[in-house]
Amino acid sequence: MSEPMTGGSNAEPRRGAVGPVHSPFSASLGTSVGFLLLNLPLGIFWFAALVVLILLDIFLAAVWMVVMAVTLAVLWLIRKPKCQTLSRGPTTLIFAPTMSLCTRGAQVERRRVARFLGYAVPSPYRQLPQGSLLARACVRVRDPAVWRDLAYLLLLLPLGAAEFALVIGAFALPLVTIVLPMWLFIAFPDGIPLGQGARIDTPFEALIIAIIALPVSALVGYLLAIGMFKAHAALGHALLWPSKGARLVQRVEELTESRSRAVEAATAERRRIERDLHDGAQQRLVSLAISLGMAKEKMATDPKSARELVEEAHEEAKRTLSEIRDLVRGIHPAILSDRGLDAAISALAVRCPVPVEVTIALDGRLPEPAETTAYFVVAEALANVSKHSKASEAQIVVRREHKPQDRLVIEVVDDGKGGAEPEGGTGLAGLSDRLAALDGRLFVKSPTGGSTQVHAELPLDTFHSIP
Amino acid sequence: MRGAPKNSSSSPLRVVIAEDSGLLREGLARLLIDAGLCVVAKVGDGPGLIGAVERHSPDVAVVDVRMPPSYRDEGLKAAIEARRRVPNLSVLVLSQYVEERYGTELLESGATGVGYLLKDRVADVSDFVRAVHDIALGSTVLDPEVVDQLLARHRDERLAALTPREREALSLMAEGRSNRAIAKALFVTEGAVEKHVKSIFGKLGLAQTEDDHRRVLAVLTYLHG
Repeated sequence: MSEPMTGGSNAEPRRGAVGPVHSPFSASLGTSVGFLLLNLPLGIFWFAALVVLILLDIFLAAVWMVVMAVTLAVLWLIRKPKCQTLSRGPTTLIFAPTMSLCTRGAQVERRRVARFLGYAVPSPYRQLPQGSLLARACVRVRDPAVWRDLAYLLLLLPLGAAEFALVIGAFALPLVTIVLPMWLFIAFPDGIPLGQGARIDTPFEALIIAIIALPVSALVGYLLAIGMFKAHAALGHALLWPSKGARLVQRVEELTESRSRAVEAATAERRRIERDLHDGAQQRLVSLAISLGMAKEKMATDPKSARELVEEAHEEAKRTLSEIRDLVRGIHPAILSDRGLDAAISALAVRCPVPVEVTIALDGRLPEPAETTAYFVVAEALANVSKHSKASEAQIVVRREHKPQDRLVIEVVDDGKGGAEPEGGTGLAGLSDRLAALDGRLFVKSPTGGSTQVHAELPLDTFHSIP
Repeated sequence: MRGAPKNSSSSPLRVVIAEDSGLLREGLARLLIDAGLCVVAKVGDGPGLIGAVERHSPDVAVVDVRMPPSYRDEGLKAAIEARRRVPNLSVLVLSQYVEERYGTELLESGATGVGYLLKDRVADVSDFVRAVHDIALGSTVLDPEVVDQLLARHRDERLAALTPREREALSLMAEGRSNRAIAKALFVTEGAVEKHVKSIFGKLGLAQTEDDHRRVLAVLTYLHG
């Protein structure tokens, strides 16, 4: 999985930007029309550019074939037939720039369609290998996603033309409805025969007909525009979105990566706990045992210093208790399993030295891994707020969203001085790994001098099935 | 010793201890017996606690929050259930962590004779024994940490209007301390404490009351709301 965490003032993840969320059903007439009208010029551009480039590529490839055929014939004549493989690479390289342009264009289209659909757009391409230009070009050319891109861009011209015509038609329809009766009056000065002896012979009657027909034609136009938009979106989905096979390949890559990072994170966590216990509680207990041992020795001979030592040991024991309590709470807070996320986050907020406003909108308990992860996102974010931000207040919002996906959204915002570095600080990086292990994502926006926003998303449907 | 039994003239307080760790159970029993109390039963789980309080009707039950079988909040639930079954039972709940939420749940089961303290407080033996006594006699004793959480949660203008000294006094009141104890903790005279208390009640808009216990309840109700 690509690193979803970003720093600085850029809150866009590298893959899968989530645009403004609205379903195609709520696409407004204005946006649909704008989208549809723009398809014709874009279609003309891509069709022209790609057809020219492809013809050029075919010509170059043909020239290369001829050159190779001649060379091979010569080589065969001088008995060196091993150089046969030479021919394939350059042919691929000839097509590579066109393919590259094709993917760029498709990316633009993908973003354009996605903006209207409100979906996250997954990248459909196979991962390019490290290595030579030729090796990468080979993977590109063999990637079916690239060929589907090409198909989409070429289809954009006929589709765009049809859409353009239909949109213009849809707008013209109500206009024609208004103008038609007047025109009929000019064409039929004696009134318009409607059959069975009925006629329209006054302007008033014509007006009534127009008033009845107008909403119908407007509705037809509206439905046409929206329907076209949906049809186009469906085509985009079929050609621009990753195929099932590509999705599975990508999913396996993500899982492999996040699994290894989850294992690393768990190991790091164990090391931290070991270090905390060793440096803290264990050392304190040693010192406690020494104090008590010395007190035991001095009890008979020097009761006054024995008493002092016992008092010291008493204080040390209380400090150890408090330290272990903090450590244990850091591993897993009891209130989280007992009372759930709401209570646990409220308890965190109350302990934060900066005033925190908590808004939690959850319907009941969540799966335990989700609760734990959400808790630690808030805990880490609040730790940053109180340690580094110099903020005077902070807000926590935790809510469950059901559209476009069943997920938990966690937001922690402060009014501090910003400058949180997700890559540098181990805390936020650890959170990102923790979230990635559950297919979640972390976005950190922390411009220097401005408010820090930590935004985490955790899918909840993954706890039931693979998406 | 501050924790000298208040009712030493009459029979010693009768205590039931519910704690699953054998080591701590015996330690608590030894400590309380040492202080002149009578431990009538020692149990290790929730049903045991309910059985013991029904059988012995003790003056006070000292209960650990975490007990078998799930080691979550059985102790808290058992304590609330025990108070439902044996009215006027005083309960002191001990916990490795104190959470304002648990304190609130406990207070909702009836706010007289209730205590909620961090387990660490047992180490300050005399204060702990005094708390057990106060609770047995119907007082409310809350851990300072719970009070801090309540105050942190309740950040409003009226609280902000208190002077730092008044805030300290308010915290101590919420913990369940008397004027004399507050005076001692703040190193001032009882008269000065009375003045602070009057001013606090005025600023928070609470009805004045002489009764220590009703005063705690007024403060807690305010902080809770």
